[in-house]
This record gives sequence, structure tokens and C-alpha cells, in this order.
Amino acid sequence: MKSPKFIKLLLASVVCFCVFQSCEDEATAILVEEPIKDIAGTWKVIQIHRNGEDLSKRMKFENFQMVFKADGTYTLSDDLPFLVDGPGKYALNDPQYPFSLILSPTDQEEHLPVKFQFPIVEGQRQLSLNLSLGCTSNTYQYVFQRVIAE
Amino acid sequence: MRGLSKTLVYLYLGFGLFFVVFLMYCGLKSLTVTVPKNAQINEVVTFTMHCGAEPRIQSGTYTTQLLAGMMVPKSWNARQSMVLTFTSPKGNGTMRIIPDTETEPVSGLNWHQAAKKMFGIGPNLVDDMEWIVFRSVQAYTFSNNEDIDFTVKATCNVGAENMLVSLGFYVGSSIENLRQEDTDYKKFTFSDVFEVMGADGDLIDFVNPQLGTVQPVKSLDNDIITLTFDAGVTNTVLDAESNIYIKVNAYDTEGELISSLNQPNEKTKLTDVGGLRYMIDLWPRGFFDVAKNKQIARLEYYFTDQTGTKVVGYGNTDEPFKFTFRCD
Repeated sequence: MKSPKFIKLLLASVVCFCVFQSCEDEATAILVEEPIKDIAGTWKVIQIHRNGEDLSKRMKFENFQMVFKADGTYTLSDDLPFLVDGPGKYALNDPQYPFSLILSPTDQEEHLPVKFQFPIVEGQRQLSLNLSLGCTSNTYQYVFQRVIAE
Repeated sequence: MRGLSKTLVYLYLGFGLFFVVFLMYCGLKSLTVTVPKNAQINEVVTFTMHCGAEPRIQSGTYTTQLLAGMMVPKSWNARQSMVLTFTSPKGNGTMRIIPDTETEPVSGLNWHQAAKKMFGIGPNLVDDMEWIVFRSVQAYTFSNNEDIDFTVKATCNVGAENMLVSLGFYVGSSIENLRQEDTDYKKFTFSDVFEVMGADGDLIDFVNPQLGTVQPVKSLDNDIITLTFDAGVTNTVLDAESNIYIKVNAYDTEGELISSLNQPNEKTKLTDVGGLRYMIDLWPRGFFDVAKNKQIARLEYYFTDQTGTKVVGYGNTDEPFKFTFRCD
């Protein structure tokens, strides 16, 4: 004859199992979909690295801003070194998992892909673009911060 | 009783530490290199690394692959032409370049970037260098006191530019990675000055301090370039000046003057970065306000004072410093 203590323990185990099982079902039932990356807004440059060297403290580029509009067009607000020097259209190569930003300047037929990252730093989205301006051996990283949302 | 068991635990831990630190030691001997003093442009030159292994293993064996690498100017395009072979009592072989996709675990960078981060550019003053790291195809197993000497030969085309450069060399063990604190499993050294000669163009001097430099060495007019005046190199007429300016002319591919900035002002002023060095970072296309259809091919420049009367040129002469925009 098993003791009542043993039966209580067995019952508790069964209840726990059922609870955990139901939790698991609940958890798996929630589908987490990666959100579409929205870069619309006005972005200002906060850092420029050239071949890994931080030029931010030596160069003045606080006026350099890029405006990405919700209609898929962009403009540049100041004359600073960049891959393009005029307005055009933009698109991400993948709306959910982008790794490049494709710029299509109005005055060019080319589509120019730029390596793209969209990290959250100190609670704020940053837009990080890796590109070459002149010689391909020279690589630049531009880090932007959003100042105005679209 | 409790004190005794505590002592035993400490003894056990101490023994473990001793085993790891001392008994598994399988270090490398110091690295020396044989580098010719000079070579002609586009010559394929052999550089030799002399090293050895000193396995001190009390139990078991030590199995690893040989790593070796070189630091050379980027302009050599050494990834295309460099071949590394090694000879040793345990076997000879040709080494393979480690793919860029493979990460060095300590730094999180690829092996070539990790080597540059770890070893730097040595006595060179201009950073236009790349480290290239190779690995033996086979792994080799060492037992205790199986000391050997081995030789790694690197052959490489030395490019088409006149230059003075100090080359970097590295030998290591694949299972040890590039740990900052490790001095046993990674050996590196830099050569004396190696000269490449025979080209028509200017001499690129990586090792001797220069009054004026431009970085990156390979740039186009849409790059951001940094012009540096190093007042500590020699005495000049600007020794007493704390405000240094640039006088600069920009020319197109036809040799026509596009723009001339000769006035000392805020735009042409260099920043004092300490150590008697002054810098100006500029984007040539914007700095000279170049039209879209124009391209700057070269610059000629001097360093000057606030009055514009005291002028320092190339080699502290009246000749201007010259910089040609190019990528190759």
C-alpha cells in the first residue's frame, strides 16, 4: 500500500506537467514575425570612420543629413563626401532582413548598393552604412542617427 | 578533517594550474628573418623565416598546424602572388592562405585583420600595409622534448613602385589563436629597411619621418584625405609658429590648374594634434569646389604661417610637396 504522501506527490507532478505542457503550447502558438525595417525620416551623421580611423572629432559634418521619405525617395542636405551627390530613390534589399541599402540617383542609371546595418544603440536606432568613396581599398563607415521621424 | 579536505582541494587546483602552465608548454623559439637589402621592381623575392618548436609536455602529445604570415605594402597585391612553403624534420609543405571567412576566435576578426590588430605596422610610419596569414595543410604532433628547427620561405612579387619599407613576419600555432598575453606561441618581428627600386616614379618612404604626408596613400579626389605636417622631423622656418596653414594647388588630368587656395584662413588651417604634428582632413572635391565634370589628378602644396611668407616645401626646400590621386 502506497502512502498518501506518495500519492500527493504524484498528483502534484501530473498537475505540473500539464501546466508546463500547456505553457509550451501557448508559447509556440505565438508567432513572432520580424518587423519591416522602416528608415523613413531625417538622419544626421554622428560618426565617420575611414579605414577604421575615427574622423568624427576632426571633421565637421554635423550638417550632413539624409532624408529618406516614405514614398521611397531620398535627398542629401549638405555637400559632403558620399557615394552619390544628388537625390534619387532608395530601397532595402530585404524589407525584414536588409543587409544593403540600394540607392538609385536620379541622374544615374546605376543602382548603387551600400552595406547596411540597423542597430539599436542606447535605445535608439542607428543607421550604419559601409562604402567606398574613391579607391575601393579605402572603406568608410557612416553612422547616422534619426533626428526626425517621417 | 574539514581543514584537511580544503587543503587537498587547493593542492589539486594548484597541481592543475601547474600542469596547464608548465607541463603543457610547447612554445616556439625566437623568430629571425633573412631579407635581402633591396630588389628591383616586379622581382619575385624570397624572404626566409627561421624558427623552431620547444615542446615540454609531461603527458600526452601536442597537435597543431603551423601558422605563418607576412606584412607587406598593399600595393604589392601580395594575396595574388605570395607563396609560403616550409621545411622541417617533421615534414615539408606548402601553406594555404586562411580564408577571410574564418574568424580568429579571440579578436572576432578574420586572421589577417587580427594579425594587423595584434602586431601593427612596426617601424613603418605610413599605414598602407596588410598582414596575410597562411596555415599548413597538415597538422603535426609533438611529444615531449621533440625540439625542432624549421624554416618558412615566402616568395612574393614586390610590386612596381620605388619604396623603403620594413616588412613584418609572424609564426604561430593554429590551436593557440592570437592572445595578447601569449608570448610563447606567437613570434613576430619586423625586418630592417627593404628597398624596392627601378621605377620611374617617386620613392614611397614608409620608414623615415617625413615633413609632409598624405593618408590614405592610395586615394581619389572623392576620398577624405589627411595632410600631415610633422614639424619635429627637422628644423624649418615654421619652428616658432603655432598656427600652420596649407597653400595648395589642384590640377586636372591635363595638368590644368583647377583651383588654388593660397590664403591662410580657417579653411586652410591645420589642427595641432600634439607632438609637433599638424593635420588637416579634407574632401578634395568639396574643398576645391570642383565641378561635376572635372576630376582632380594631383595636388601641389606647401605649409606656411599666418602671414603666408614663411613657406616649407618638400624636403624643407622651395619645391612643393606633390600628391597624385590614384588607386593602383
